[in-house]
Amino acid sequence: MKKNFRVVNNITPSVDGKGLMQGRSYYTDDLADQNSLIVKLLRSPHAFARIKSIDVSEAEKVPGVACILTKDNVPHVSFTRAGQGYPEPSPHDKFIFDEYARYVGDEVAAVAAVSEEVALQAMKKIKVDYEVLEPVLDFEQAFENKSVIHPEDGIHEMFPIGFDPKKNVAASYEMEVGNVEEELKKCEYVVEDTFYSQAQAHAMIEPHTCNARLDEHNRLVIYSTTQTPFHMRRIMSKTIGLPVEKIRVVKPRVGGGFGGKQAFHGEMFCALVTLRTKKPSKCVFTREEVFGSTYTRHPMRITLRVGANKDGVIQAIDCRALSDTGAYGEHALTVFMIVGSKVLPLYNKAKAVKFGGQVVYTNHVSAGAYRGYGAIQGNYAVESIMDELAEKIGMDPIKFREINSMKEKETSPIFEIMGEGTEGTAMIMESCKLPYCIKRGRELIEWDKKWPRKEVGPHKVRAVGCAIAMQGSGIPFLDMGSCTIKLNDGGSYMVTVGATDIGQGSDTMISQIVAEELGTTVDKVIIYSSDTDLTPYDCGAYASSTTYVSGNAAWNAAQKMRDRLVREAAEYMNVKVGSVEFDGKIFTSGEKSLSLEDLATNRLYNQDTRQIAVTESFHGHVSPPPFMAAFGEFEFDTETFEYKMIKYVTVTDCGTTINPMLAKGQVEGGIAQGYGMASSEEVIYNDKGKLLTTNFDVYHIPTRHEIGELVTEFADSYEPTGPFGAKSVGEIGIDTPPAVLCNAVYNAFGVRVHHLPITPEAIFKAVKEKK
Amino acid sequence: MEVKFNLNGLDVIYHIQPGEYLLDSLRNNGVKSVKKGCNASACGACTVLVNGKPTLSCSVLTASIEGKKVMTVESIQEEAGELSEYFAKEGADQCGYCSAALALVVHALKEENPHPTREEIDDYLVGNLCRCTGLQSQGNAVEKYLGGKK
Amino acid sequence: MKVNEYVRAASLEEAYSLKKASLKNKVLGGGLWLKKGNGEVDKLIDLSRLGLDQIKEEKEYVSVGAMVTQREFETSPIIKKIGGGVLSEAVHQIMGPAFRNCATIGGSVYGKYGFSDVITALLGFKVDLVFYPEAVVSLDEYVKKPGFADGILTEIRIYKSGAKSFFKKVKMTALDYPILNVCVTKAKEYKVVVGSRPLVAYVCEGAMKYLNEGGKDIEKAVELAMQELKIGDSMSAKSEYRSHLARVYLKRGLEEVK
Repeated sequence: MKKNFRVVNNITPSVDGKGLMQGRSYYTDDLADQNSLIVKLLRSPHAFARIKSIDVSEAEKVPGVACILTKDNVPHVSFTRAGQGYPEPSPHDKFIFDEYARYVGDEVAAVAAVSEEVALQAMKKIKVDYEVLEPVLDFEQAFENKSVIHPEDGIHEMFPIGFDPKKNVAASYEMEVGNVEEELKKCEYVVEDTFYSQAQAHAMIEPHTCNARLDEHNRLVIYSTTQTPFHMRRIMSKTIGLPVEKIRVVKPRVGGGFGGKQAFHGEMFCALVTLRTKKPSKCVFTREEVFGSTYTRHPMRITLRVGANKDGVIQAIDCRALSDTGAYGEHALTVFMIVGSKVLPLYNKAKAVKFGGQVVYTNHVSAGAYRGYGAIQGNYAVESIMDELAEKIGMDPIKFREINSMKEKETSPIFEIMGEGTEGTAMIMESCKLPYCIKRGRELIEWDKKWPRKEVGPHKVRAVGCAIAMQGSGIPFLDMGSCTIKLNDGGSYMVTVGATDIGQGSDTMISQIVAEELGTTVDKVIIYSSDTDLTPYDCGAYASSTTYVSGNAAWNAAQKMRDRLVREAAEYMNVKVGSVEFDGKIFTSGEKSLSLEDLATNRLYNQDTRQIAVTESFHGHVSPPPFMAAFGEFEFDTETFEYKMIKYVTVTDCGTTINPMLAKGQVEGGIAQGYGMASSEEVIYNDKGKLLTTNFDVYHIPTRHEIGELVTEFADSYEPTGPFGAKSVGEIGIDTPPAVLCNAVYNAFGVRVHHLPITPEAIFKAVKEKK
Repeated sequence: MEVKFNLNGLDVIYHIQPGEYLLDSLRNNGVKSVKKGCNASACGACTVLVNGKPTLSCSVLTASIEGKKVMTVESIQEEAGELSEYFAKEGADQCGYCSAALALVVHALKEENPHPTREEIDDYLVGNLCRCTGLQSQGNAVEKYLGGKK
Repeated sequence: MKVNEYVRAASLEEAYSLKKASLKNKVLGGGLWLKKGNGEVDKLIDLSRLGLDQIKEEKEYVSVGAMVTQREFETSPIIKKIGGGVLSEAVHQIMGPAFRNCATIGGSVYGKYGFSDVITALLGFKVDLVFYPEAVVSLDEYVKKPGFADGILTEIRIYKSGAKSFFKKVKMTALDYPILNVCVTKAKEYKVVVGSRPLVAYVCEGAMKYLNEGGKDIEKAVELAMQELKIGDSMSAKSEYRSHLARVYLKRGLEEVK
């Protein structure tokens, strides 16, 4: 299958890397109209309150105020802010402004003014009469709590997702393969344990930003830091009642997303301000708003029971989960299901698997999409308890995983049962080099020398931990990407794609795929992406779909373009199509030859002039998982329990790496983020439900000093359904650090920390409790 | 009030509010390469050089810049372009939002300490957060760039 | 923060008279913490033209101008000579260089911030603060006394010392405030300091008295220090863990300098 590639699988600089380092100003706020009205949001100081009335009369009198939006003057249509396929698997439980404020930071009103100062001054003069209600701040107390977070009329699910708002349930799910209770009874070894994970923040360095203007046709043009421009256009159209053809959404460069920009933030407000005032407007979230009023990862409680036979082969897995979606239910069901669907198939020897539970509302910041969603929470629990089970059996944890994990050409019944919000799709693992990844990683970390721990000095010990992981590659039969390629004079190509480059490098990856197929170089491919007016549709950057789905679309388009060029050349040279060879620059047929440049010039300026252009799409029938084995070595202070990462080894099977350096960047960036969740990213609310960790001085993402040596390798693998053999790599990197660290802490001190982050203080407490 | 300073080699006069910060003044005057990340001196995305020294423009009052020399990435175009090639080779460039500030910090490091150790590089860059790359690759790129080896 | 007027003071006299004129007038240090306040400042007083940015070696002490930045302080060869370089090392651990190029030593000391690494480290030495118009106050005294000085801090005098020194900042990441910091020095006498408790640094005089009177039992000295230290909760750690850290690092510090 594999061939010698010229462009893909070769080191290629990001197409925008140089320009961005040189400061080219193409991020959303760089492109705002200089005369934009400044939109600021009045946010609820209460975790839960009913708004009895809002009086804006004094605020409107402040000179320079252009427009104030409240629940009293905006459309009242329920929607979900989640940028997902339609109909969405998230409940329609959000209004532009509502009678209720459901968390500290929930939007109550928007003020548009000539300057930020004026907007803030006016905001102080808005009088809101709140009826303060009893909030639900503990997600384990949310179900059937007497405080109902969504008592309002007009909210609904788009199809059955277990939505039961009167019981504070945003979604629920149950499945079972075989009979777990029966199998567990037969098991020689059974372990049970419960793990809690926190509301991690995305912490992308560019805040959520948008701006709006009317174009010369009086159409609404939104620039947004969005991961899903086409979903944004659709949702906005339905919610504010403006036809799709009147809306253009442009995604400029985006300074990191990680799922946090897969939803609406200020866009509805800017849209309404601009439509009403006819003036451009912009809304730039402060860092405090990014932390306190966008989205977090879904905090979860996961309880597992796992049983194995006397040979150490897993027979049954029972997984019960409770997820906290906060004030609104964006991605509530889909994140939840992935806890099961993208973690449990790793252990496909199990005869019986049960998975289920609820996603509940609380009066916390809304949870939403976040890289590795569901998978990292599930991985922390599953890969921790697998170490517990291995220890109980008395088996090396790596050997235990080798025996029990997925192999090539195998499958899991879970694939067919569980999809994202719906039923899944059966599939066989056409590419799965997990056994190699485990073996190679074990060598690279020198496991046999280092496991479980080694004393390295006075009150210093080094310990290792491991975990394995899988993800998916897009959502089959749902995610779709498309690509248009046109030939320019000179023989270069203009490529337009809906695929959304949010910094991960999809523009570069797609350029490489097109250049490879068309026998040219990346500098002859001009790429423009994510503009609902100018590019064809794409579902957006999520679900690890871009390389596989959008990449396949680009590959399809490039193949079609190649065929088209050959036909055009045959016609021009007056030869049979089958006789024409094309090397990327020259068409030859016997003695005759024609350069691409001449063909292009001819078709644009001379005979039979026409634009040579093609459009192709792709949607997957399977979602081939990438796999990873990860191994961490940490040095602990045995008295204070402070620790540092010494080394983190990963070996990944993501099929062909289209751009090996970007793939490495995805894995390593994922590890750093996952390590932050594992070690230092503490989320703190006060007892009134106000989030306190709202800037980088108190919410600690890893810096250069916390990341040790990263050893990142890829398995030699080829996925037959992927573009040039590629699978996804965007999310899998984040999955393993919580379990790897948890297992290493156990190997160092003999204690298991059951909640994230695993801070030195948490280890201190666990050790103390053990004593 | 009025403040006069030298921006990338040109003497400029900005009309500002007395409590205005340099980051906002620069962006309001069209210098968009300087980025707002946290607005609380904690992420480094707004870094500019004031009299050659890396400075958090979100936390420095523009009024205090009177008579000083401010450099943004516009004044080190070639160097930034060259550095980006090292970033590309190490897989260290992703979203680019922190890149221009990093280029300035690397420039200042080079001026201050042309042959730093890896530890000195990491110490010098530690205030510049990056959420995309995993950070090690950036350090590798800077190490090779300053070591002059590709 | 709103500022009505920015005044570049031409003399200390002018700066002082402006400061005294109204509580709404504030002296600008590095400006980093000022930004975190939401209040309105009537006149913001800039001291940058008053020559307070010098580090000078005098006979008995090192004179550090209040407007010397943390970065200038940290990299100064004169400062590196004090206590085996512990002051440089302590300041080096604060945020990144761009931050330290903004923050001033005077600002760090004057504000008496609980999280200050500068104060904890300086308290390991004999340090005097010079205020305009005429007060000279020891740092120990300034930190102990509630409230802020009425004058303008112009100079920090660090008495030269070849003390054996230990400084530890416990932190979650490199850009974190300290969860706790500890400074232990020994020249002729011991100095034992614990900061970020989360309250401002505390000089453990009981433990010092025991050690300076010839006490040799480190465990006992730690115990004495723990008895006098008030350690509380904050977002970054609960008092139980913080106390545990204090014990461990006081012991390590005392063992290192003994």
